[in-house]
Amino acid sequence: MTERQPENLQQWRAQLHSVWANPPGWGSLAAVNHSTIGLRFIVTGMAFFLIGGLLAMLMRTQLALPDQALIDAELYSQLFTMHGTVMMFLFAIPVLEGLAIYLIPKMIGARDLVFPRISSLGYYCYLFGGVIILSSLVLGIAPNSGWFMYTPLSSAEFSPGPGSDFWLLGITFVEISALSAGVELVVSILRTRSQGMSLTRMPIFCWYILAMALMIVFGFPPLILASILLELERAAGMPFFAVAGGGDPLLWQHLFWLFGHPEVYILFLPAAGIVSTVIPVACGRPLIGYRWIVLSIILIGFISFGLWVHHMFTVGIPHLALAFFSVASMFVAVPTAIQIFAWLATLWTAPRVAFNLPMLWITGFLVIFVCGGLTGVMLALVPFNWQVHDTHFVVAHMHYVLVGGMFFPLVAGFYYWLPLVSGRMPSERLGRWGFWLTFIGFNATFLLMHLTGLLGMPRRIYTYQPGLGWDTLNLLSSVGGFIMAAGIATMLLDLLLHFRFGRKAEPNPWRADTLEWALDTPPSAYNFASLPTIRSRHPLWDDADLPRRIAQGEEGLTGIAHGRRETWGSDAVGGRVSQRVHLPGNSWWPLSAAAALALVCLSLLTQAYALALLATVVAAGFLIRWSWENGAHAATAPEAGQEAAEPPLVARGTDGPGLWGMVITLLANAALYLSLLFGWFYLWTASPQWSTPAEGPLSLAGLLVAGMLLALAVVFVQRASNALAQGDDDNLGGRLWISAALGGAHWLTLAWVLHDASLATTESAHDALLWFMLVYLMVHAGLAVLFSTLQALRVRAGYVSRQFPYEPFVIRPFWLYTLGVYWLGVAAFVLLPMAWTVR
Amino acid sequence: MAAATHPLQLVAGPALWALGFVALYGGLSVGCAVAPPDPADGSGTWLNASLIVMTLGLVIVMLYWAIRCARVAARDLPRESPQALIAGVAAALHLVSALATVAIALPALMLPPCL
Repeated sequence: MTERQPENLQQWRAQLHSVWANPPGWGSLAAVNHSTIGLRFIVTGMAFFLIGGLLAMLMRTQLALPDQALIDAELYSQLFTMHGTVMMFLFAIPVLEGLAIYLIPKMIGARDLVFPRISSLGYYCYLFGGVIILSSLVLGIAPNSGWFMYTPLSSAEFSPGPGSDFWLLGITFVEISALSAGVELVVSILRTRSQGMSLTRMPIFCWYILAMALMIVFGFPPLILASILLELERAAGMPFFAVAGGGDPLLWQHLFWLFGHPEVYILFLPAAGIVSTVIPVACGRPLIGYRWIVLSIILIGFISFGLWVHHMFTVGIPHLALAFFSVASMFVAVPTAIQIFAWLATLWTAPRVAFNLPMLWITGFLVIFVCGGLTGVMLALVPFNWQVHDTHFVVAHMHYVLVGGMFFPLVAGFYYWLPLVSGRMPSERLGRWGFWLTFIGFNATFLLMHLTGLLGMPRRIYTYQPGLGWDTLNLLSSVGGFIMAAGIATMLLDLLLHFRFGRKAEPNPWRADTLEWALDTPPSAYNFASLPTIRSRHPLWDDADLPRRIAQGEEGLTGIAHGRRETWGSDAVGGRVSQRVHLPGNSWWPLSAAAALALVCLSLLTQAYALALLATVVAAGFLIRWSWENGAHAATAPEAGQEAAEPPLVARGTDGPGLWGMVITLLANAALYLSLLFGWFYLWTASPQWSTPAEGPLSLAGLLVAGMLLALAVVFVQRASNALAQGDDDNLGGRLWISAALGGAHWLTLAWVLHDASLATTESAHDALLWFMLVYLMVHAGLAVLFSTLQALRVRAGYVSRQFPYEPFVIRPFWLYTLGVYWLGVAAFVLLPMAWTVR
Repeated sequence: MAAATHPLQLVAGPALWALGFVALYGGLSVGCAVAPPDPADGSGTWLNASLIVMTLGLVIVMLYWAIRCARVAARDLPRESPQALIAGVAAALHLVSALATVAIALPALMLPPCL
């Protein structure tokens, strides 16, 4: 693994730059570098934030005085729906993901994330999805059912226009972006840390991002499923949420909040990661309770999934079930409190705390978030929750948690990492003005709003009569809102001006301990000229010479003559390097695929289904072509065939980031499938008009034949992989072709079962769910066939062989998953109802 | 069960808590839909008893895991090794998961199930 130190430094760094740099001009749209993509996410997210803030100001203007008629009820409904939607889906998550995408490789000593083209695809899906959603506002047809889109209000009967469709299709499109970033961050953190960076030495921020990314993987699929089901109900009349057809509107609430409550912690965790990073640096000492904080991060990751029903305390659930969720909601305060005590202890024991701009915002966070947490515990108590349900008290609590728990730390993070991005320092004076105006304005707006809520003012009303005791409080809240807006404008002005007028930052201006501060400011496209060996959790505090050695090429992975983009591949626990991960370079495929997917979205919105089908085919074509430039392909790994250096390239082994990415993606897929099973069992037990036909509509013989064909296909995939693992590629292509043929026969049999069943999908939720399950299985079977076919073609082209055995091991889990969900589906949707009916 | 230093230990306790939570809520819902006990029986019903027995079973497993991880963390490993971090944090996570499981099931001792 020892690499030769470069002899001509300037020439060597120029070579590094030529391999890693973005294309110039319009070509930069094809850039895949994580720094570029991360910054694009952040800038775009902040643009959406300004739009969301503008909507909030319009609402506060309307509510400032009673009986105002500046905005009518319809527009007001659109405003509060879009404010919540923009802030949650288009600002908060993407900005935090952008920050993670920008920072994680720099913190773990890597040159890029593991799937750079997927980063780029994610960004374009986010951008196009956001523009599509916002265009509905410009056209005056924005969704108006609230950011949670409760059925039946959002169903076709009560929301006949295209507003709900904009939300459902646009948000699902944006969620592709969130999920792809989640998968990529998990794999990057676990598999590409630099030599020696064991879990014990991993920066605490990476633990937070790892948990956040895993929560996205498990938390978003329920909403994706719910959105697809509701869109099918609206467009095709399938009654998943309509009582008359055997559906239940409460199923939407369950699926939405299965996503929606973890979402709060998906936002809080990375923000808390910023706090845990900034406080020790300001204190000049390690964070107290590293292990306790790791424990609390993991606990939050799990417990936050057990709280979703506390958003549904008033819908008529048995008291005992309410008590389960009430206790869980209070319990989640425990791991949060562990972190707060760890931060306070770190501050308390510091010899001196530098109260710079980042720390000012962290202090604001501590005050506001603790207050929001306390009102959260109040709302976890069922009787109190009933009293203030749907009042402004809940609005105030939510903003204390989200603005306090996410926005304040985010701005702290902006100020903290600004010198890294720009090489310049912000203005202390403007920055302090920005903070105090925001802090005062925020509390004036939302502290008083607790009282307005306790006095009974409901949420989502566009005006109110005078004399109810709400007049003065509302006026003060509106004034506070404008003060806060002035504060945020000042802060943003400071951020913008500093790029031109800020004084030059010295290297590592905050005296930080983490690796990103070993880089040039701003960093080069390849981050680290040479990849460091890590010997402690605080590499820059314990080894002051490290930045110089990295820059001089005295650390690892210095070779660049081959022209490949490379970073280390390491094991998940110990951080021992075992591979060189070769990464794809700049590519137009992500932009092309995202544009085609946007066209699918737009044509579905306009009900141009033929165009939607065509655009889907085009998108699939782009994605297939993209996947071709992979592995040992010369566009991804030039000269891979001529080189056998140590440690080996990923394509030469049977384990690597691609395999991990596949497994993590399948976990997300499994979360969606489990949500579908939950929907099935929920409607079966709870829907008032659910009915199961006496005889199942699906052909059992057909299903058994299809299952046997699929099992046989998996046997051939397994045999191909096992033989390859032993260095035997004699009949590799043949086995893959056979698996594809068997998979194709399985698909055709399923198609026949579906055709033969004559399901009444518009009359019965039972039949509609059966239809959905079969289509889900057919999509998976189709993809599995496609993967095997592509692999067989790649064997023929020489990209997969004994020398490059990696790819069949990546597709194998997909086949196994397809087989697993098939039989689980048959058992839950067909065999169990049969047994129940017989009973 | 994997070795006490396996990274899956970091999620095993909370995952079992989550499964228990789903079983508690799902079991209650299915029980109330299929054979709801008489509300007049208060909390002394077969459904409450089943939920509590299930909880106790889960808690015993979690406590066993906690003791196993704690022993390995205390005796066998250098403190700064990643394995020590995994075993130590996992022991605490198993213990907290057991506490959370008990806390969440406690209302089953007091409330009628389907009211």
